[in-house]
Amino acid sequence: MSAVADIVRVDDLVKDVRPGFGLRKKRLLDGISFRVREREIFGFVGPNGAGKTTTLKILMGLIRATSGKASILGHDVSEVSFRRQIGFLPEQPYFYDYLTGREILRFYAKLSGVSQQRRARRVTELLELVGLSAAGNTHLRSYSKGMLQRIGVAQALVHDPQVVFLDEPMSGLDPVGRKEVRDIILRLRDEGKTVFMNTHILSDVEMVCDRVAIIVNGRIRYEGAIDEFLEAGEPEADLVFANLPAEAAVRLEECFGARLRGHGDRIELRIAEKDSSAALRLALDAGADVVSATPHRVSLESIFLSAVNKADAEERSR
Amino acid sequence: MIGRIWAMAVNTAREAIRNKLLYTLLFFAIAMMAFGAVLSTLSYVERERMVQDFAFASIRLFSVAIAVFVGVGLIHKEVERRTVYTILSKPLSRAEFLIGKFTGLILIIWLQVAIMASCFAGVSLLMDAPLGFAHFAALALNAVELAIVVALATLFSAFTTPLLASFFSCGIWLAGHLTRDLRDHGANSSSEFVREATIWMHRILPDLESFNLSIEAAHQLPVAASDIWFPALYGAGYVAVILALAVMIFERRDFR
Repeated sequence: MSAVADIVRVDDLVKDVRPGFGLRKKRLLDGISFRVREREIFGFVGPNGAGKTTTLKILMGLIRATSGKASILGHDVSEVSFRRQIGFLPEQPYFYDYLTGREILRFYAKLSGVSQQRRARRVTELLELVGLSAAGNTHLRSYSKGMLQRIGVAQALVHDPQVVFLDEPMSGLDPVGRKEVRDIILRLRDEGKTVFMNTHILSDVEMVCDRVAIIVNGRIRYEGAIDEFLEAGEPEADLVFANLPAEAAVRLEECFGARLRGHGDRIELRIAEKDSSAALRLALDAGADVVSATPHRVSLESIFLSAVNKADAEERSR
Repeated sequence: MIGRIWAMAVNTAREAIRNKLLYTLLFFAIAMMAFGAVLSTLSYVERERMVQDFAFASIRLFSVAIAVFVGVGLIHKEVERRTVYTILSKPLSRAEFLIGKFTGLILIIWLQVAIMASCFAGVSLLMDAPLGFAHFAALALNAVELAIVVALATLFSAFTTPLLASFFSCGIWLAGHLTRDLRDHGANSSSEFVREATIWMHRILPDLESFNLSIEAAHQLPVAASDIWFPALYGAGYVAVILALAVMIFERRDFR
């Protein structure tokens, strides 16, 4: 992998804290490493308290790592000037509520060094992009949570950054708002930008991310392309029958190792995809009716849960 | 860099003028001036001086109160409300952020002093009290003293809570007005330790009495240019050192 293609590089990052006045330290990040490549949407996934926000804050220079290295676009995260090329939306963002949507974007544009000639046009473009054109001259104190989240997305993009970091970007949004933010994220990738997204909403990750890293208890458990995850393991199929005789059900279990579940007069079974034709034939010969036959897709959720369970088991065995 | 600092300063000033405490203290300052004017009518002698002393004292006291109580929340509020996250993710250094906040607040405080000074001039004219260069010089040096107080409030606000920051700032302001006397008393002490300690206290803590021209103003005494420039330069240097210290502390801070 070439260094140019790695937009974000994180190597052996460790973060220890000493909560309160305690002498005992707590390890929030335990030597994490990962890469984010150019023009991809990278999902950083983990349960609450896994270390997602801590990692993002280190990348944004808001907190310092105890050890390890982190760089964005080849610059150490402690540098300041390269931040012209990055945008950041924190989790549950708060803004100066005495300013209007237009004023806050103008303020962030000034801080980001957007020229005066471009500023007004850029602010109008962004308000339109996030669907707040009508609320541009309203004070932020009157904004709903969803509107604040949208203005947060707009401020992250105000200086047209090359890399965008989003911490729980869909949080607080209704289904329509979530769809709009998803569309914005996909549009950013189409424009050639790289997006790093912290989230625990797995359906969003499946829908928009190209690659994903799963972090649990401060350690990266998986990293790779979404498709690789979902295609891993033997493909399976879900078959649903009605009027399946008991003997046929037993044979399906014995011959194909099928896992059966009953729902009223219907029997649902999951088997290896290669055995599905033979299983269908057996059931039809036995006089059963086929209700449905669908390929079973391994969900990110199952991988995520298995990572969490594995981490919990490791913790217990320590 | 200047553009980013100015953007922060303008925003800080906009935020500060929304602080109700600012208006409350300004109201009391003006009310005290008016009270002084009423009180002076009960006196047979030196009415004008009484009015001006009252007005001058209220400007000094209330402007310091504004500087401390508005200044201590300066950084703390940004961290508490997490507005600092989006701001520091922009190409703005922590030093620029801090200097911008300081600049915004000091501009607002100087504006308050200008309003109070206008009231002072108005009351003086109304009571036929003399107004001269000494009054202007005293107010200008008071403005420099306020810059030191705001810098101290910024420093403490960078690492502690508003309550503690206001204790520390008020404490140093009080001590700053006493260090000169302490040093002079210490010089007469038989103990070497006391002599050295009072000298070092005077060197380290701000010598705020050097900004006090109230006697010159009250008696219309002549004020030499050096009486203004030396304290002004000393004040600017002191502010620079305090802000540098604040930046050093703020640079090391984690925003968890």
